[in-house]
Amino acid sequence: MQRRHFFSGAATAVAALSTASVGRAALAGLPEAAAPAGTATQVPPAPPTGRPFHPVVTLNGWSLPWRMNGGVKEFHLVAEPVVREFAPGFSVNLWGYNGQSPGPTIEVVEGDRVRIFVTNRLPEHTSVHWHGQRLPNGMDGVSGLTQPAIPAGKTFVYEFTARRPGTFMYHPHADEMVQMAMGLMGLWITHPRLDARGRHPQIATADRDIAFLLGAFAVEPGSRTPRVNEMTDFNIWSWNSRVFPGIDPLVARRGDRVRLRIGNLTMTNHPIHVHGHEFEVTGTDGGTVPPSARWPEVTTDIAVGQMRQIEFIADEPGDWAVHCHKSHHTMGAMGHDVPTMIGVDHRGLVGRIQKIVPDYMAMGERGMADMGAMEMPLPENTHPMMSGTGPFGPLEMGGMFSVLKVREGLARGDWRDPGAYAHPPGTVAREWQGPAEGLPPAAAPESTAPPATPAAPARATVRKPHGAHH
Amino acid sequence: MSATSHPQNRALRWSTLATALLLAGCASVSPDGLRGDVQAALQGRTAGADGALLPSPDPAAQQAADAAINGWLAQPLTEEAAVRTALLRNPGLQARLARLGVQDAERVQALTLPNPVLALGRLTNPHEREIERSIGFGLIELVTLPWRSRWQGSLREQDTLAAAADAARLANDARRAWLRAVAAQELLTTQERMHEAAEVGAELARRMARVGHWSRLQQAREQAVLADARTRLAQARLAAANAREALALTLGLWGAGAEAIVLPGRLADLPAAPVPAEGLEQRALRERLDVRAARLGLDRVADQQGFARVGPLFGEIGIGYQRNTTTGRTGAAAGHAEVQRGWALELPLPLWDAGGASGARASALVRENAALLQQTALQARAEVRMRWRGYRTAWELAQAQEQQVVPLRRLIRDETLLRYNGMLASVWELLAEARQSTQAVAEAIEARRDFWLAETDLQFALAVGSPGSAATVAAAPSTASPSSSSSAATAGAGH
Repeated sequence: MQRRHFFSGAATAVAALSTASVGRAALAGLPEAAAPAGTATQVPPAPPTGRPFHPVVTLNGWSLPWRMNGGVKEFHLVAEPVVREFAPGFSVNLWGYNGQSPGPTIEVVEGDRVRIFVTNRLPEHTSVHWHGQRLPNGMDGVSGLTQPAIPAGKTFVYEFTARRPGTFMYHPHADEMVQMAMGLMGLWITHPRLDARGRHPQIATADRDIAFLLGAFAVEPGSRTPRVNEMTDFNIWSWNSRVFPGIDPLVARRGDRVRLRIGNLTMTNHPIHVHGHEFEVTGTDGGTVPPSARWPEVTTDIAVGQMRQIEFIADEPGDWAVHCHKSHHTMGAMGHDVPTMIGVDHRGLVGRIQKIVPDYMAMGERGMADMGAMEMPLPENTHPMMSGTGPFGPLEMGGMFSVLKVREGLARGDWRDPGAYAHPPGTVAREWQGPAEGLPPAAAPESTAPPATPAAPARATVRKPHGAHH
Repeated sequence: MSATSHPQNRALRWSTLATALLLAGCASVSPDGLRGDVQAALQGRTAGADGALLPSPDPAAQQAADAAINGWLAQPLTEEAAVRTALLRNPGLQARLARLGVQDAERVQALTLPNPVLALGRLTNPHEREIERSIGFGLIELVTLPWRSRWQGSLREQDTLAAAADAARLANDARRAWLRAVAAQELLTTQERMHEAAEVGAELARRMARVGHWSRLQQAREQAVLADARTRLAQARLAAANAREALALTLGLWGAGAEAIVLPGRLADLPAAPVPAEGLEQRALRERLDVRAARLGLDRVADQQGFARVGPLFGEIGIGYQRNTTTGRTGAAAGHAEVQRGWALELPLPLWDAGGASGARASALVRENAALLQQTALQARAEVRMRWRGYRTAWELAQAQEQQVVPLRRLIRDETLLRYNGMLASVWELLAEARQSTQAVAEAIEARRDFWLAETDLQFALAVGSPGSAATVAAAPSTASPSSSSSAATAGAGH
């Protein structure tokens, strides 16, 4: 990954997008509207100008460069239509900032004077609300209430001082429902001012500081654009507009202090669960949680419009799942109306259905795990309900799922995927090879319930189609 | 008509008689009951089965027809073979052709000269006995024979055209029955397919309910789909069986012959492009049998009009030869016989009827027939335009159904399969789309059938007459023999 260098005054031409063109003259005095390269996580370097801080790593994202102008940090956000790849083979038409959804992370330091130029290349007006910030009322970004909306094609400027350290978001507050459903959002980190030793009394220095926003989209299978009017029946559950297996792993050296900053801009809550470690919530968008008020957790619920900052020491080597604990949220697109087929005898019917639909295959008679194993053709641009393969087979996951990879002796700035974990011998669950008599009794409670209808004996349910398309 | 025995007059007399006899001889019954003429008029009007033969009373020809029909029935019955079989076997057509023979014989009968009248009289008075012998015949019959024979030829031609039109209508009906039978059989297979899909869905629903995955409500919905499919299947079976029955009936087949019919699997493809409308109306006016028949009728009454001026005046001219013998009975004259010989001519005096009414009638007849010809021509043109429009629209609808609707439905089914693969849709949704796509195929079959039916009717309207009306070409009125007594033999057509 390359950090873009840019120099004041030389405004390079920006890729003009379809909607409203912004005059070059209007942009001449502005900082360059930087754009990202690709969908991989871009690890920012140490800040080249301004106060020092430890940059965060935006999962599958990047941080926005700035220029110093008379002691003021100047950023330039461009709201515009983008195409976001959520996972290989699955891309969605979204609205984003500077070529990506979510937009680039804005990182400043407590006390910084910040000036943000916002250029609107959307087809309609917009505004930016700096969620959680202390700022002058007129800078709060609520169109109609605190400012006129930014018309298409215009550039507005916001200016305030970042008064308190913490984890924040930015998102539109004009036609908000549509613009958030289209993916317009970004992260804002205000780093604490550090003492001479580079420390802060209440905010620990994290070795791995990782930030992402939770997103939910309703993308009809086979289509490319979210249904903006959906409120409950979402099918794409994303971190920074990526879904498993398109989400980069969270890499840590054994013993690292890991901080996850997670913001929720979906329509429902997400209990985020970390395997193998306990963590504490050390802060919210409301600020730092005093150490005396923290308690251990392995799952924390992030409600709508909230941010949670959790920290733990990654001291257990391995490949640990990190995911939303709502199981539907770790699935790709699925049919919520598809009936349960488990234990339904298909004997004598498969051939008859194949006469009518030649490529039909019976699925679901034993459960849905077939889906993870079989690579059946799907509608175009559709992320499978279950996918991903690990060293031991299909993961049968999708959506809000990633892997915390803890390894011995990684270099401090090394974020590369270390591959599959090599388990010490004898530490992996395995099939029991001994005699059945050696097993403890599998006791069952005494029950008066009538036996359930015996299901059909388990048989292979996957029948390869034969016969050609026509 | 003097009775002199001048040699010149004698020669004239004999030649007149000879001519009359010759003309009378010309009016003979057609040996094949006019079948050859009907066959000729049928040319190009047998619904695409070029040179299809009519049944023949000849045993050898009948054997050849049997062999040909057996050959056609031994393989899937083509459209053309269906038309040929119908023309050879349909009893209605055989009755029609026999009727044509009857009409012909009746006309010949009407043309034959009336037999001469022999009159004998014996008169006595006290003095003498008189024996009168006379032979007489209607002169007018003889004199008008050339005209009448010409008109009768025209009437015969008109009757032949009417019979040919009925044969062409049968060919058309056979083609339509074949189209309907083949389409009905194709439609039955689509209904069987839809029924199969509904049956599998209902069975799977039953198994779902059995293990507790589905409620009675959910199961009932799939059962209702099956019940509906069963109804449609039963209707399709009935329609296919009846269409087959109707085909066999039109072909004149029954029993083993009807059983032997094997229908091909599908109707012919649509043509790449429909025929353009240019020149069709002219073709109809040139070729349509009803227009030809109307023209014949007009020509004939126009020809008769000239005769009508003189006909009534000489309508009852009679000529006779008399030989009277008078024999004395008494006195000196007893036993003495005296013979009188001579020609007698009966001539009506045109005191009351000088031909005025007759002339008026004849010219009205001409006007009537001219108007009828005009009406037939206008009707032919309008019909061709309407039929072409129907044909063109049927082509567009069938083309759209085949090129757009069916592929779209197949795409929907295939996309539903992809969603089923991704567990985004259920097997019941997949089966429902399969039924929908088969339904689109069924509608395409119907549209294709309707196109070919429209094409058949267009061809009929171009070359024969009005599709869908019972009598295409009015047969000439059967002409009573012109009486030698009442009004002249101006047997007009078209009343």
